[in-house]
Amino acid sequence: MTILRLIAFSVALMLAPFASAQQSGPLRIEITEGVIEPLPIAVAPFVAENPAAANFAGQISQVIGQNLAGTGLFREIGRDAFISQVSSFTAPIRFADWKAINAQALITGAVSVDGNGRLVVKFRLFDVFSEAELGEGLQFVGDRENWRRVAHKVSDQVYSRITGETGYFDSRIVFVSESGPKNARQKRLAIMDYDGANIQFLTDTSSIVLAPRFSPTGDRVLYTSYETGFPQIYELSVGNVQRRQLDVPAEAMTFAPRYAPDGRTVVFSLAQGGNTDIFTLNLDTGARQRLTSAPSIETAPSFSPDGRQIVFESDRSATQQLYVMGAGGGEPRRISFGQGRYGTPVWSPRGDLVAFTKQNQGRFHIGVMRTDGSEERLLTASFLDEGPTWAPNGRVIMFTRETAGASGAPSLFSVDISGRNLRRVPVDGSASDPAWSPLLQ
Amino acid sequence: MAYLNKALLLTAAIALGACSTDADRFGDGSGTPAAGQFDNGGLGDPNDPTSLAYFQQTVGDRVLFVVDQSTLTPQAMVTLDEQASWLANNPEFTAIIEGHADERGTREYNLALGARRASAAQDYLVSRGVAPGRLRTVTYGKERPLEICSDEACYSQNRRAVTVLTAGLTG
Amino acid sequence: MTTGAYISSAAHTAFIAFLLFGGLFSRDRLPPVEVAEVSLISAEEFAALTMPEDAPDAATDTAALVAPPPDAEPEPQAEPEPIVEAALAPPPPEPDVPAPPSAPELDVIETPPPPPLADTSPDEPEIIAPPTVEDGTDLPQDDTPAPADRVAPEPAAPAEPSAEEAPEVVEETAPEETPEAPAEPQEAAAPEEATTEIVTEAEEPEETAPTTSVRPRSRPKRAPRVAETPTPEPEPETDSTAAAVAAAVAEAAQTPAPSQPSGPPLTAGQKDALRVAVQQCWNTGSLSSEALRITVTLTVNMNPDGKPDNGSIRMLGFEGGSNGAAKQAYEAARRAVIRCGLNGYNLPVEKYDQWSTIEMTFNPERMRIK
Repeated sequence: MTILRLIAFSVALMLAPFASAQQSGPLRIEITEGVIEPLPIAVAPFVAENPAAANFAGQISQVIGQNLAGTGLFREIGRDAFISQVSSFTAPIRFADWKAINAQALITGAVSVDGNGRLVVKFRLFDVFSEAELGEGLQFVGDRENWRRVAHKVSDQVYSRITGETGYFDSRIVFVSESGPKNARQKRLAIMDYDGANIQFLTDTSSIVLAPRFSPTGDRVLYTSYETGFPQIYELSVGNVQRRQLDVPAEAMTFAPRYAPDGRTVVFSLAQGGNTDIFTLNLDTGARQRLTSAPSIETAPSFSPDGRQIVFESDRSATQQLYVMGAGGGEPRRISFGQGRYGTPVWSPRGDLVAFTKQNQGRFHIGVMRTDGSEERLLTASFLDEGPTWAPNGRVIMFTRETAGASGAPSLFSVDISGRNLRRVPVDGSASDPAWSPLLQ
Repeated sequence: MAYLNKALLLTAAIALGACSTDADRFGDGSGTPAAGQFDNGGLGDPNDPTSLAYFQQTVGDRVLFVVDQSTLTPQAMVTLDEQASWLANNPEFTAIIEGHADERGTREYNLALGARRASAAQDYLVSRGVAPGRLRTVTYGKERPLEICSDEACYSQNRRAVTVLTAGLTG
Repeated sequence: MTTGAYISSAAHTAFIAFLLFGGLFSRDRLPPVEVAEVSLISAEEFAALTMPEDAPDAATDTAALVAPPPDAEPEPQAEPEPIVEAALAPPPPEPDVPAPPSAPELDVIETPPPPPLADTSPDEPEIIAPPTVEDGTDLPQDDTPAPADRVAPEPAAPAEPSAEEAPEVVEETAPEETPEAPAEPQEAAAPEEATTEIVTEAEEPEETAPTTSVRPRSRPKRAPRVAETPTPEPEPETDSTAAAVAAAVAEAAQTPAPSQPSGPPLTAGQKDALRVAVQQCWNTGSLSSEALRITVTLTVNMNPDGKPDNGSIRMLGFEGGSNGAAKQAYEAARRAVIRCGLNGYNLPVEKYDQWSTIEMTFNPERMRIK
């Protein structure tokens, strides 16, 4: 207060001589400071339009609220505070009641089960203070068992209409589910909704599996398995859980596979004679190409979204650092220059950032930098954070956080790329190596 | 006695091949030494110089590395010299050399680091006369720590290359 | 383990896996999807939005969504199921409100004041250690409470540990506490905890037990404290910053201008007070990074009581991004003008001619990465 007063005082003194000058036209002011806080949003319980829809209506509005609040960009206003209830989807909105509880956005909706037994979900989004609808009302029709996906689709629409970027709720995570003691950990591939719901296992626990990655269409997964007793790269079809070993030399160890944006090329690491380099494999022709041939470790490759470049890690300069090279190889340029070691680079879906793991002074961080290495920002810090993966909209990063000690165990966390909204993803048991799918179609 | 041991080992190896699970192999191969030290679970009599138990405990089946390094220490070389001579005396055995890393690194880098360590041990054994065809390497990165605390005391035991004998079946 | 156990466990594992996956992944293929009717709505509904509509194209989306599932997946249980999307007709207008909400009197309702001002000075902040929460990790630094949820032009000290100040690690399933949404106006509500910068976990100091409150540490650089600050800190509370600044100007500047009947322009202090009042409601926290690159200018007609005529708000222009992102940027700016104007802006009525129409430019340059 004092400071403001002082500024106002000096500004007023400075401008006093001009105070009598006449002003023409509208008053003009410029706002350059604002607040950054979650937008208060009210999700009116969706109206069940027939008895069969009663359960779904409550669950769907609940999931929508959780989705939006979970982003950290919105704050859901508790229903206890509501003044008016929305008892019919077509009833006019009493904006005054929602302004009174400072709801800046309001979602209304209705759920019914149609004659074919399918779920019909309608929703509208309102800007309460402007008393205007944001976008148009939409209706989704889906199978009842997919009610969560419908809720995610509604959430994606709301998110997109308010923030201006696409959502990420209707997406999935493939990860490694872990159990057992630290020195005999059992690992199996699993898949779940982005929020931890609907976990399904894709492999059994008989072999170590590591670091899965989704194909650009989300229907296949690359991963590393010790099925043969040696690390080898596999591709698994999510739909029928069929897996196949990829065509690489049997005597070599292969790992760190990721798809190119075309979905037909795989880039991976191959270790032979103690040296690890990066190769590509064409899934259609089986043609293999060597991209690096240094005596150092080259691994953890990740394609740029346009498919033209690959970011990877290498210890050619004595410690793990990040490098970018062309999709066909060539002389890489180093992009990480800060203190510590940098690994697991992952190119963002927007193409403008690289997420990475940084190890410095005994701690691990998840961070982001521009693709030329500038503007490095660390988002997290803990005993062991690693393996970032991007939400399909490039706004959120999920990663593995492992606790220390004999009983230490990994779990999944997510964080906004601003560094805010760090959360543990609720998964039963231990989990590691998450990979985010594209938005489902 | 020796025959019986070999037969046992052979059976075990066949069983392992059938399962082809690393977890199983760890169960007696390079798992906690306590597991195979005193019970006779297929490792044979530790006093029998041709037994697996003797190789593990007397010769020493593992060498250790410093942080983020794959260079063999002088002590490691002594151990590998003994391994080389044991392998020379027991030509029916082949070996898989496992490379491991501590937990203070990212997963895939540690795989590559483990591969380096296993290869360093392999190269040394070959330089000491072991036929390359009898040796194979595998990396486990940080997936199979021996000690589970989060201190250097444990990390130093986990940065290792372990020579696991395989009774000639995969050679 | 014995050989028998190996074989047995392998066989059992295989059998169990078969049972598991056989059950999980053999559901019938979903029936083909019907195309729902798409009924588009009239454009008048969005007359208030002066932007060309390039929000999600419902027709296109529908077409994309109803494409038959690819034949390549014989058992698409775990595959994306088609969900049909269709646009709805506009909702009926609220009956007791004329279609264009141009009469601001209708907005005069008992509403709570805008959210507590970030720079309203609380009582001299008590030193309150943030709550530490044990979440099972061995490292205390992982349990450090979250940085403030709110980033505002001026920092505010944490009020007191409450449910709102969640520990930094939040289970997504945790029910959302909403103590900030009271049905009753709460004049005396403590300011929300706010920092002037986003403090990521990585930037937090490792030592947990803080011995000072957040506020002094994060005081903004652009408003340096001047040594000869005359006013003692525990000054009487004023209702709003706008009022305080206006009062300060009036008493300190001692300009004769305010006494003139009408005509003279607003003093810089009066304009500044308006600016400060609006910026408290300008929340950029839910904007995309693209929208945060857009400077948007809007115009609003004002009523003599200092309240904006909400129906008159129009976007005059924008620069720095696409139409789509400008729409969200404009909407956030419009919300700010309306929300903080609910009880009227503190403007000198004798100079109404000067501020009957206001053009406000919202430049988020400084709001991008804080």
